[in-house]
Amino acid sequence: MIRSDVLVIGAGLAGLMAAYTSAKQGKKVTLLTWGEGTLTVNSGTIDILGFDENHKRVNNPLQGIDNLPADHPYKKIGRQALQEGLASFLELTKQHELTYIGSMEANQPVVTAIGTKKRTAYAPLPMVLSEQALTKKKIRAVAIKGLKDFYGDVMIENLKKSFGPDKDYGVIPIDTGLMGGRDITIQDVARYLDTPQGNADFLSQLEDLDQDTLLVLPPIFGSHGHTVYQTISQEMKATMVETTCLPPSVPGIRLRYAFRDELRQLGVDIVESSKAVASEIEGTKAVSVIANSASNQRRYYADRFILATGGFYSGGIEMRDFEKPIEPIFHLPISFVKGEDQWTNEELFGSKAQGYAKTGIETNDLLQPVNKEGQVVLDNVYIVGRNLAGFDFCFEHSGNGIAIASAYKAASVGMGKEA
Amino acid sequence: MSERLPEDELTYYTGDACISCTSCMSNCPVMEATQDYDGPKLVAPAHGRMHFSEEDIERSLELCSNCKTCDRSCPNGVSVSTLNLLQKGVYYRTHKHPMRDLMISRPEPLAKLITGLPMGASLANMGIKVANSLGMLSMMGLAGKRTMPAYTNKTFLSRMKSIKQPKSDKKIVFYVGCSINYNTPEIGEAFVKVMNHNGYEVLVDPAFVCCGSPLIVTGYLDAARKNVDTNVDRLLYWKQEGIPVVSCCTSCSYALRKEYEELYGEKQMKEAGSNVYDAFEFLEMLDAKGQLKTDFKEESIRFMYHQPCHLKSAGIGTPAAQVLKHVPGVAVELADAGCCGICGNYGYRKERYDVSMKVGEQLFKRILLSQPDSVICDCPTCRQQIEHGTHKEAIHPIMVLARNYKYE
Ligand SMILES: Cc1cc2nc3c(=O)[nH]c(=O)nc-3n(C[C@H](O)[C@H](O)[C@H](O)COP(=O)(O)OP(=O)(O)OC[C@H]3O[C@@H](n4cnc5c(N)ncnc54)[C@H](O)[C@@H]3O)c2cc1C
Ligand code: SF4
Ligand code: SF4
Repeated sequence: MIRSDVLVIGAGLAGLMAAYTSAKQGKKVTLLTWGEGTLTVNSGTIDILGFDENHKRVNNPLQGIDNLPADHPYKKIGRQALQEGLASFLELTKQHELTYIGSMEANQPVVTAIGTKKRTAYAPLPMVLSEQALTKKKIRAVAIKGLKDFYGDVMIENLKKSFGPDKDYGVIPIDTGLMGGRDITIQDVARYLDTPQGNADFLSQLEDLDQDTLLVLPPIFGSHGHTVYQTISQEMKATMVETTCLPPSVPGIRLRYAFRDELRQLGVDIVESSKAVASEIEGTKAVSVIANSASNQRRYYADRFILATGGFYSGGIEMRDFEKPIEPIFHLPISFVKGEDQWTNEELFGSKAQGYAKTGIETNDLLQPVNKEGQVVLDNVYIVGRNLAGFDFCFEHSGNGIAIASAYKAASVGMGKEA
Repeated sequence: MSERLPEDELTYYTGDACISCTSCMSNCPVMEATQDYDGPKLVAPAHGRMHFSEEDIERSLELCSNCKTCDRSCPNGVSVSTLNLLQKGVYYRTHKHPMRDLMISRPEPLAKLITGLPMGASLANMGIKVANSLGMLSMMGLAGKRTMPAYTNKTFLSRMKSIKQPKSDKKIVFYVGCSINYNTPEIGEAFVKVMNHNGYEVLVDPAFVCCGSPLIVTGYLDAARKNVDTNVDRLLYWKQEGIPVVSCCTSCSYALRKEYEELYGEKQMKEAGSNVYDAFEFLEMLDAKGQLKTDFKEESIRFMYHQPCHLKSAGIGTPAAQVLKHVPGVAVELADAGCCGICGNYGYRKERYDVSMKVGEQLFKRILLSQPDSVICDCPTCRQQIEHGTHKEAIHPIMVLARNYKYE
């Protein structure tokens, strides 16, 4: 739509959530996206806060947030928007046959693609390690013949470390009938299990396993929703748990389908292959955003603009000259760590956040962009997700949590339902 | 005379921007349909750049349908599908085409021949039916299970001569394209009616030729060059005159506005492309300026809209769905079920029929489940595929506007 109430730029989790929240309030929403959006690479767990500023493990994310510095995005978003945003996310996913399980007050372990454990606040049902799953004596990694990116032996070595030495470990090979063409991907297997034949085939190879077995598999149980996982679970005596995986990430893709279906039903106009490049501004208001089509430029007018372009990682913030980061659409002020020595931290996964990763757009508590003096630069523009200054999602494990909560807040502010 | 685009805009170099994120792989509909295809990332940016030699061809390259889903998925602007087309072009410079390629790549000369003969269209349509029932199409390497598009007895260009239009200062040039001229002239007539009603005079330029897309996707890159140069000349001429060129076919318009530039990398192609609009893109722009006439009769009907892939790639959203909101009683639901699978002449090739139908399955299911009164879609080959896969009528959205305006 050339004229809408809300224009969202970017189709990562933050942009999708902002479009959803706005459309649910009855707004006319247009979503511009350059590239399909990032959920296909997202591991699909909702991390809220895994580590604090000193890289100490956080067990209770909600408490952990209280101890963050004042300029951290969570401090601006606030508890209420975080809780309401999460609730809204859970409602959406549930409607699309995705069950997320977890709590804001306790992180839980999930198994990664290589068999280590990582912790998160909300995990998709197939990834959840229930109490009962943890008591199983036999741990089996399932190796699918011809599948790239999932190595049974590496998995077992790491699982031994994760689950302790006193269990019985092994690898079970299974065949899918997908061999003969290209290297098999996890998504191929997930699509195969979408079919009745794939389903039956899979079961026939594993139904003999006993109750005391925990099967660890890549996320292969269907490409949409969690129904395939639930149906197969009922037929099996053994317990099954999915791991995260390398891209294309099926758990992220399942989320993407859920959002796409929902946004379509709500009448959100998604404009693909549309790169926002500039804007038209009058005083402290943005009037329109200018985006490249295949051969021209188009203007998109709206009352409210939500900038979800993903910061440094996704082109929302560019740096053509060192120490001169720019936000290319509205030319908003950028806050960043100065000095080359502060910029990076030699230890890639060390105990200090990466300076550059905290680069972002400074906002007030309503998520409107502000200048150094704290004055609002544009009062109908809102900043969400990884565009926000002051956090390193990778270091503190907060990416999807901040994306959901900030998007919810930006789309709700001043809409009667103040968050 | 012809100036190259700057290096970083050339398709060949967009491959360097690939970060191997696999977004294209997770969205490619042909990968979803068959394990035989290696997939966009491997075929285009990875293999494609290594193997621009003549003897070598990626073994599964021919499976790429040019639906361009990969391009749209890519966050880094890699022109994946065009890298594939370029590889194919290089390969066929020194390798023989199957015989039927000659036929499926040159709809224009064939149609000219047929519609130029007295009774030619009727005879040809009958001939196609007979040939099909005798299994001849299949022998020629065409998908025998399909109905071939029927020819009209009177082309759009000859009909245009007898359409009386009001004179106006506001003018557009209608890029007619083969499908409308030779197969579905009623779409062209509807378009003229709609534009006239909105105060525009519609010009046609007989110097335009087939957009060349059928040649391009069949690997005849050198042969297509003639069409490209002719059309680019005309587009630039009209640009100079200040008159936009508008098309009712989203694959023609995508070729004119973007594919030429991507394939041949010359500056004037980009310039020419900026003067091309889709019919509904143009109407939506009028609407945004408050200049679209909205004096519609009411029609109680429920449509499902299939957005063609090449329209998605144009980066202009769903203008037809937006404009049709003005017609009272008309409900438009988006299919949003991916590629239809036909992809120009891809699905007409015998050996691609199954993949083509497999790709379309999701769209067919969606349509059959929703049971709309009719399907609307701006692309002629998508419409053929939808009718073939669902036995539901599929029409161009301009027909809906044309039949609902209140003319004096
Ligand atoms: C591999 C990977 C896995 C991850 N897994 C998890 C996980 O399991 N759990 C978790 O909590 N966090 C995870 N994260 C972090 C999380 O993905 C992000 O922090 C968060 O989702 C960011 O979302 P975003 O929408 O702000 O930005 P992004 O996801 O980066 O999305 C930005 C979007 O904007 C588009 N865009 C940019 N510029 C323009 C423009 N000019 N015009 C139009 N569109 C534009 C981009 O193409 C992109 O689609 C992961 C991150 C990575 C890299
Ligand atoms: S053009 Fe379509 S079929 Fe070809 S690689 Fe891209 S997505 Fe796949
Ligand atoms: S989407 Fe683009 S960057 Fe990602 S793998 Fe494909 S071509 Fe490379």
